[in-house]
Amino acid sequence: MINRRLFLSVLLATPIALDMAHAADPIKIGLSGPFTGGSAAMGISMRDGVRLAVNEINAAGGILGRSVQLVERDDEAKNEMGVQVAQELINKEEVVATLGFANTGVALAALRFYQEAEIPVIINVATGTAVTANAPSPSYIFRTSASDSLQTQMIAKEVAEVRHFTKAAIFADSTNYGQLGKEDMLKALDKYGLKPVVVEKFNIGDTDMTAQILHAKEANAEVLITFGIGPELAQVANGMNKLNWKVPFIGSWSLSMGSFIDAAGANANGAIMPQTFIQESSTPKRKNFIEAYQKKYSVDRIPSPVSAAQGYDSVYLLAAAIEQAGETDGPDVRKALESLNKKVEGVVTDYDKPFSATDHEAIDASVPLMGKVENGRVVSATQ
Amino acid sequence: MDIIAQLVVSGISVGMIYSVVAFGYQLTFATSNTLNFGQGEALMLGSLVGFSVVTRLIAAHFGAGTAYAIMLPIVLIVGAAQGILVEWIAVRRGARSRSSVTWILATIALGIILRNIAENVWGRDPMKFPSPVSEQPLIFGSVRVQPMEILIVIGALALMLAVELFNRRSIYGKAFVATSIDRSAAELVGISTTRVISMSYALSSLSAAFAGVLIAPVTLTGAGIGLALGLKGFAVGIIGGLSSGLGVIAGGLILGIAETLTGYYISSGYKDVPGLVMLLLVLSFRPFGLFGKASIRKV
Repeated sequence: MINRRLFLSVLLATPIALDMAHAADPIKIGLSGPFTGGSAAMGISMRDGVRLAVNEINAAGGILGRSVQLVERDDEAKNEMGVQVAQELINKEEVVATLGFANTGVALAALRFYQEAEIPVIINVATGTAVTANAPSPSYIFRTSASDSLQTQMIAKEVAEVRHFTKAAIFADSTNYGQLGKEDMLKALDKYGLKPVVVEKFNIGDTDMTAQILHAKEANAEVLITFGIGPELAQVANGMNKLNWKVPFIGSWSLSMGSFIDAAGANANGAIMPQTFIQESSTPKRKNFIEAYQKKYSVDRIPSPVSAAQGYDSVYLLAAAIEQAGETDGPDVRKALESLNKKVEGVVTDYDKPFSATDHEAIDASVPLMGKVENGRVVSATQ
Repeated sequence: MDIIAQLVVSGISVGMIYSVVAFGYQLTFATSNTLNFGQGEALMLGSLVGFSVVTRLIAAHFGAGTAYAIMLPIVLIVGAAQGILVEWIAVRRGARSRSSVTWILATIALGIILRNIAENVWGRDPMKFPSPVSEQPLIFGSVRVQPMEILIVIGALALMLAVELFNRRSIYGKAFVATSIDRSAAELVGISTTRVISMSYALSSLSAAFAGVLIAPVTLTGAGIGLALGLKGFAVGIIGGLSSGLGVIAGGLILGIAETLTGYYISSGYKDVPGLVMLLLVLSFRPFGLFGKASIRKV
């Protein structure tokens, strides 16, 4: 009797066991970001934040009982590399979703492949407004970073309402990010009836900003608004010190990059930028995140705290969507993301229905605050 | 007026760097009729090696100025070694053949290899080079100059002067001049022209490496800085004339000042244009350079 029961239960259990062994295939998630070059601080911090979250999820049993496998590729902040990476991740690696993109230009070039393949992408660093705005419906593109249209509204408010400046100079780099950001800034200033007195451009790799600064100085600009990335912005700050042009320095979130703060040294102090996340242990969740990051990666200052935090949160949002959908099929995960019914506790904020069919931006105006560079770190500007 | 003065002063220090690179091109052209197209990479290597040495010394509690002074001879030796290597691998075989393509391609290829090695060793990110002097600008009336920019001009002139004195006073220098005037005649009087050519390559890369550590505290340093500087140095060499020492100084100053003036008055996006336009004009109307001598080839 016992033997037959034992035999039957083993017989019945075997296909279930085999089925579970098959289902233990890892869930492949792509990660596309700049891990080398001038944008590397953002890419590496984002990747490390994502890895932290993936390790936590895997330690807790994975998603739907399957472990998460990250497929990481360096897009080098180059548009054509981004396209190559997208094609490899979609066609060769067959990822179920991709996280990443720190550069607007790379995102704009690569996203259509994901859209065509119906694979969801959560952008966790790039801020160009066009990235989500131009996606066709139903869109597979989601974002956990603060879009440029949101940031420029915050900057315009700071310039016009808080500080009552009327003459602003805008310096933007020649990439998609810089130029599209400049367009957003012009629109945001226009709402206050303001036009900038000078608009200047610089290239990635430029080191001498004398001409641009002299133009702005001649035009008596009262404030400088910037759209660029760390190394060039540092040269702007250094040039301003050399040419004795001392005006408030307000810009997009990239002023929090370690490469700006280090290369500009004391000249970076006082720079102000919108931030979704500041490396301060203001909540228990944030404290745990910062300490885990510092311990795992042996750093004190996170090179780009915003990128790390947004990257971390993007993993949890994706995980929640996959759990809700019950499977990894693109269209189902997308629908789940658009109607998340559980609150997701993140480092940047707590997400309660962050996305909808028409709104793919997780960050709205209530989340970011203004940060300020002070002695090598970014602190809250309203202290 | 103040603006122009400021732009001219900024242009002078940048222009002197181009002059030093062009000077390097000139040294090898004089003795061997070849150029090291990896000159920009020699500059880059000098600045990165200098960066590593200086940061290590500063971490060992040396002052920034002392660290810089200790680093200089090391970088010069590394530069010279790199020059000798380039000559041995890329130029020696190709220089004998009729066609210039061999050494042109070989030196370009070596330059690319060097850049890739540098990217792997130091990464691709731009880095801040600790300045040996204060970074606060000195004020002369309405013009503001950083002390390092003045140091660039002094350093560049000192290097060119040193090589000139070497040529005139020392026996090796005279061998160098002899080889550049007439190589066969120099062989006949017993000068080892192969060794002279090697030495000229060593001096050329040494100058480039020196230029690299001069400019690094003002700009950022990284594996990618060599390309643009090598190209502009070459343009200055052509503009000033590959046979004239004063020519490269004049050419460098003209290019540097033209760049900063264009950047201000026309647009910062067009900064690289004047150099290339001048190159085209000089090649069309005075191919031996503004200060060079027309060479008559006897048939």
